[in-house]
Amino acid sequence: MFLKKHTAAVMFLLGISSAPLLTPGTANAIPAFSRQHKTECSTCHTIYPELNEFGDAFLKNGYVYPHKKEGAKAATQAESAGNEWSVISGLPQQIPISLTASADLAYDEDAVDGNKVDLSTRSITLQAGGSFRDLAGFFATYNLYSQGMQRASSLPTPANNSNVPSGNSPDLDELFLVWRQALGTPVNVKLGRFEPKLSLWKKSNRILPVPSYASTTYRVGLSPFSSDATEDGVELNALLGNRLFVAGGVVDRNGQDRKDGYGHISLKIGGTDFKGQEPEVDLEKDSLWDFLSVTLGGFGYWGQNGEFDANGVAQNLNSFRRIGAEADILYKRLHLKGSGSFGHDSNPDFGVFKTAVDSKAYTLEGEYYLGAPVNLVPLFRYEYLNAGDGAIKRLTPAIAYSPLQNLRLSVEYTHSIAPEGTGNIAFASIAFSL
Amino acid sequence: MKKLVVTMLLVAATATTAHAGLKVIGKGDAMRLDPSAFPPNMKANYEIMRVKCVKCHTLERTIVAIQTGVAPISGQPFDRNATKAYGIKMLRKPDSNMNKAEVKASVDLMNYLLSEAEK
Repeated sequence: MFLKKHTAAVMFLLGISSAPLLTPGTANAIPAFSRQHKTECSTCHTIYPELNEFGDAFLKNGYVYPHKKEGAKAATQAESAGNEWSVISGLPQQIPISLTASADLAYDEDAVDGNKVDLSTRSITLQAGGSFRDLAGFFATYNLYSQGMQRASSLPTPANNSNVPSGNSPDLDELFLVWRQALGTPVNVKLGRFEPKLSLWKKSNRILPVPSYASTTYRVGLSPFSSDATEDGVELNALLGNRLFVAGGVVDRNGQDRKDGYGHISLKIGGTDFKGQEPEVDLEKDSLWDFLSVTLGGFGYWGQNGEFDANGVAQNLNSFRRIGAEADILYKRLHLKGSGSFGHDSNPDFGVFKTAVDSKAYTLEGEYYLGAPVNLVPLFRYEYLNAGDGAIKRLTPAIAYSPLQNLRLSVEYTHSIAPEGTGNIAFASIAFSL
Repeated sequence: MKKLVVTMLLVAATATTAHAGLKVIGKGDAMRLDPSAFPPNMKANYEIMRVKCVKCHTLERTIVAIQTGVAPISGQPFDRNATKAYGIKMLRKPDSNMNKAEVKASVDLMNYLLSEAEK
């Protein structure tokens, strides 16, 4: 009914469909920003964690409210009145911490264990973000808990009960500082663990964060690299004018003497610019550009990794690259996203005898915003991936609803087509931030 | 003289404490303007603002910005350039349900209110 009767295909497709559901998505939707700036989530988000144009400008501005001028006397006075300690020390006036939690319900007609309906308390994530007197921005994401795989246990405690899968080990996903406009230049210096600026959108910048886009999250062979994985590195980025954004950086990959390098460029035509300033609109005449904005992006990543030996030294090295192009089109309530990535890995299975793999992946997504502010979004996503094992296609219609701005409900249905067969999975999720 | 003092006291009692040039009614989320002294075209514009803007935020945010000359969230100067920029921002918000004529009416009203607030 749902899958062709080939065990290997069943296992493979379940893996394809379900694997992304087992990892919590990080989120840049953090209520700490709302509390700090005394504004609602919809200032920066459509349905969280997806960013709107202003939210993107806030992100690019190192978590400082866009076009904030030093000369805004009233704001400075209001900030410092009774809060001299904060101004002098650089400490945020409030502890800039937020929590995001999620739970989900998956329906799989052909679940291996017969458990067709699987309810999971999926994850809870700690986030922190803000700025130190507008000089430096900071952001951190720490996965406090994410549900692990089912394992038998004889321990009677709920956390170890065989009916409740144990959690994965807590881990730090992101922790970085941004030195804003270093030495008076337009260049921002980012240092720490972060998602290298490749794609137009961070992996959290989605109406549906799980699963992420095939074009940026795919891996090849045994290589752990994906374009959206967080890495330890240094990045320089800058706005050139108001509509051109460039970024470049190096990533320190352990176990070898080489560093990875990457670059990104994006151009925005129409709409709110990268500094958060509204376009000039003639209120007397109509023009297509009153509501249309097009953002074009391109990126490249060159790196090397390998299989670690007992001493932590990378062996059987794999040199890899990714080249990508993307487009983001917004017209009134319609939002279209397109992303394509082409890759080459010289030895993705870390074999003694190298076998190179060329890969490619595309994602196309269309969203339609309803509500004021946006609280209901039907969307459709098409993905294509060929990472050396044949072509896999994924079609995902979904709907997301946000009854409150910090609460997101979503239902999605994914139909996968792979060389081994087809698969279907339905997935409902609830997430909230506080 | 006595009549004059009483009249002055009555005027003082009914005047808003918020700003000399704007007549504000209520506080917090219920804050609104008294449009009785507005010119007819601005009364019509105020009706648009009163109905459309409150879909996403209270009128308090707008009134405070006009009274203080500072946008309460961004801390930026709230002047005639800002009113148009905010109008455009609201026009371009998905499904704000405001057309250009309504945005222009709101911008014209905010500019009028800024002038009144300066008096």
